[in-house]
Amino acid sequence: MKILVCLKQVPHQDARLDIDGAGTWIKEDGIKFEINSYDTFALEEALRIKDAGEAEVVVVSIGPDRVTQALRTALGMGADRAVHVKDAEIDGSDALGIAKVLAAVAKEESPDLVLMGLMSDDGNASAVPPMLAELMGVPSATAVMKAEPEGDGYRCERELEGGALEVVDLAKPCLIAVQSGLNQVRYASLKGIMAAKKKPLDTKGAGDLGLSGTVGAAGAKAQIEKIYAPVRGEGAEIIEGSTDEVVTQLVGKIKELGLL
Amino acid sequence: MGNILIVTEIKDGVIREASYELAAFAQKLGGDVKSLVIGSGIAGEAESFAKKGGGTVYVADDASLANYNVEGYAAAIRAAVDASGADVVLISNTPSGWDVAPRIAAGLDIAFVSDVFDFQDGAYIRRVFNGKLDARIAVPGDKAVVTIQPGALPAFEGSSDGGTESLSVDTSGARSKFVETKVAASKGVDLSAAEVIISGGRGVGDPEKFKEVIQPLADVLGGAMGASRPVVDAGWLPHEYQVGSSGQVVTPKLYVAAGISGAIQHLVGMKGSNFIIAINKDADAPIFEVAQIGVVADLFDVIPALTAALQEAKG
Repeated sequence: MKILVCLKQVPHQDARLDIDGAGTWIKEDGIKFEINSYDTFALEEALRIKDAGEAEVVVVSIGPDRVTQALRTALGMGADRAVHVKDAEIDGSDALGIAKVLAAVAKEESPDLVLMGLMSDDGNASAVPPMLAELMGVPSATAVMKAEPEGDGYRCERELEGGALEVVDLAKPCLIAVQSGLNQVRYASLKGIMAAKKKPLDTKGAGDLGLSGTVGAAGAKAQIEKIYAPVRGEGAEIIEGSTDEVVTQLVGKIKELGLL
Repeated sequence: MGNILIVTEIKDGVIREASYELAAFAQKLGGDVKSLVIGSGIAGEAESFAKKGGGTVYVADDASLANYNVEGYAAAIRAAVDASGADVVLISNTPSGWDVAPRIAAGLDIAFVSDVFDFQDGAYIRRVFNGKLDARIAVPGDKAVVTIQPGALPAFEGSSDGGTESLSVDTSGARSKFVETKVAASKGVDLSAAEVIISGGRGVGDPEKFKEVIQPLADVLGGAMGASRPVVDAGWLPHEYQVGSSGQVVTPKLYVAAGISGAIQHLVGMKGSNFIIAINKDADAPIFEVAQIGVVADLFDVIPALTAALQEAKG
């Protein structure tokens, strides 16, 4: 049993978002990065499957040098092996380009199960998982809140609107994109972090994966033309002053609403 | 924009409101509009949609399509793309839409743009960074699968002069199988009846702080405590406290959002509140867009002081 977990490293959720000179992304200098929150739940799910039986957990991430930190964290939590896809040629890929890179890695690894998060905290597109499943030719489910072995695959509960769930069976090999909150994510132990230093972390480029000339900005079919602060509506009346002054105004408003 | 294909969605035997919003988006794009209705026993709905903005409607009516299944629906959409010669495929960004749409784009090797809420000057507009920034997405080749955020624009109310055409779909190769739909379990905490809800987000920091800071303010106002999704995901509070599209939808007289940035899924759950006070250190937090009063400050300064002042005012 082999599980491939796709991780994305994203700006920390509290990072300051300053737009870069080109106006197409944020300035990445000096900000902290972390593993995409949805992906941490996917990694945890993979480690639980490993804990319950025989499984090899391989983590893969695409990006510059800083990405090794995310991969080392994952190895420290218990993943067995890491693949770092690092190539300037891949920069500027759209979701489909990223899915093609991951599909090339999946072709080399031929996993029984691919686990990843429903979406990323930066792009919020929830695009890559079903694309990867399509390129791999495997069944998939997104927004999964529960996945358990069933027959020759997994029985998944997908989150619908208003708290409803859709139960779907996937035959292996398959891809499961998890919704946040399906488990409680473990921390890397000190022992795990020490052990991680000896675990294999392979680096690959677009050429190694047979993708030269097919991914990256030139091949992107959807391109970010510009990012900018949203044009807000009228928005809130911002009340200012010392804590006492603010509290006095809030108490006044709460009285006005007839709630005191 | 060439040929547009609207992929409608059926719920409880009826085409969803969000599908009429796709028809409105299609008008915005401009182009020749055709549609697809997928399901079982849905010919009547298809005929109706053909007259209400759908244009020629392809009908994939098969017992195997009675329930959503990613492979079956993908097969139906592919068949409709072939039949219509669609350049742009519009799908609602719902749990089935976001599940199937990227597959279609990958299969056709064309652009995918997700959760769009507007189309301006030739580009699709969507939110990124959990609502903090907007992005203009250009599609140089014009061919794209686009999912549209439900509620982003009013439903199309005009008419169209279309008929229906039946579409045969082969669903035999599917390796995923619909089992059942489960409805939500009954909730231990009913926030729908609360007049006052004090909700905390990731900014509250840990479960103890909910007890020490959030709950006392709820208590002094005779209200209930709520939370945003990350709080529940972190295991700080059980799911029944969650306010949002996947939790409880609430409409209290007063909603206080403390340390909540205001991701779309949370806003959907609480924006119907009568009066909203938002307290957040980040002046750019999207929550301030829906609040009536905003306080840009540390919730740990404001809330205990507010709780004490209200206690005193009550006497």
